[in-house]
Amino acid sequence: MQQAFELRQGRWQLTLAEEDYGTSRQLAAGCDGFIADDEDEQVDDIERSCVNCARRRWLIDAIECTFL
Amino acid sequence: MRSWLVCIDDTDDIGTKGTGEIAEEIAHLLSDNHLSRCAFVTRHQLYVHPDIPYTSHNSAMCFQVRTAKSQNEILEIAVAHLRSESAAAADPGIALLDLQHACDREALIAFGEQAKEEVKTKAQAYALAEQLGIHLSEHGGTGQGIIGALAGLGLRLQGNDGRIKGQFNLPGLEAGEVSLSVGEVIELTGVDRVLSDCGEQLCFKTPLYLSGKVKAVYRDHQVSLLVYEEQGRWRNALKQQLKHY
Repeated sequence: MQQAFELRQGRWQLTLAEEDYGTSRQLAAGCDGFIADDEDEQVDDIERSCVNCARRRWLIDAIECTFL
Repeated sequence: MRSWLVCIDDTDDIGTKGTGEIAEEIAHLLSDNHLSRCAFVTRHQLYVHPDIPYTSHNSAMCFQVRTAKSQNEILEIAVAHLRSESAAAADPGIALLDLQHACDREALIAFGEQAKEEVKTKAQAYALAEQLGIHLSEHGGTGQGIIGALAGLGLRLQGNDGRIKGQFNLPGLEAGEVSLSVGEVIELTGVDRVLSDCGEQLCFKTPLYLSGKVKAVYRDHQVSLLVYEEQGRWRNALKQQLKHY
């Protein structure tokens, strides 16, 4: 997973292309730390996706993983 | 009976009850089981930045309620619930606006809009609340949630921001796609209108094809079911599209 997330200033970050959550879904499918966030905070129709995870932290055009 | 806007922020932590659910519970407590007195909760997205200590998304939740209760009675109920239901690690804040109270609404709206684009401070939030005569208080942790709570009030007042909390249950939806006219959807869900992603309000007879999670956004002070056109059919917006609201 670290190959997709990049370590920037001590934070594991995944840059997101506008509404393409393909990588986000692939990564979450193989992640032991995934916890679905509240439905109201989800932005991908496929639930198991890093952008829907309660352990992600939104940044501008990117998310930070607090589980890694 | 008076109308109030209540907004809360920063009440949750990973794996705990969400801020939206707590807002909905407070709304029900304040409305004395008259559901028509508290129609819906709006979710307002605020700025995301490393310098802001939100847990995962930085959103505030706001609702309107009609009640004969005094401000002190409202706060007593809301704050008690906020304290009991907020996560231990949360930094909850609450803002309360009497909609009959004359104040500089433009200043409040401006604060909300700024909080979507820049880092705001607690001092700025308290100063504006005092200037406008709006109740703003913190109830645990750093109290950082007061910033979002005040911003959420402004964004709800502005009337063109946010998504409606929750989703609509429609008969047959669980089995897949449902086809209903705009008029039928309004009747079944209580939304004010059906709005295309280009801003066009669809007429009552227009057929819609609904599937998955059916959610609404707040636009022009109206609960608006957002749809988009695909191969000549109007479909409910996907979450990816709703993200921008």
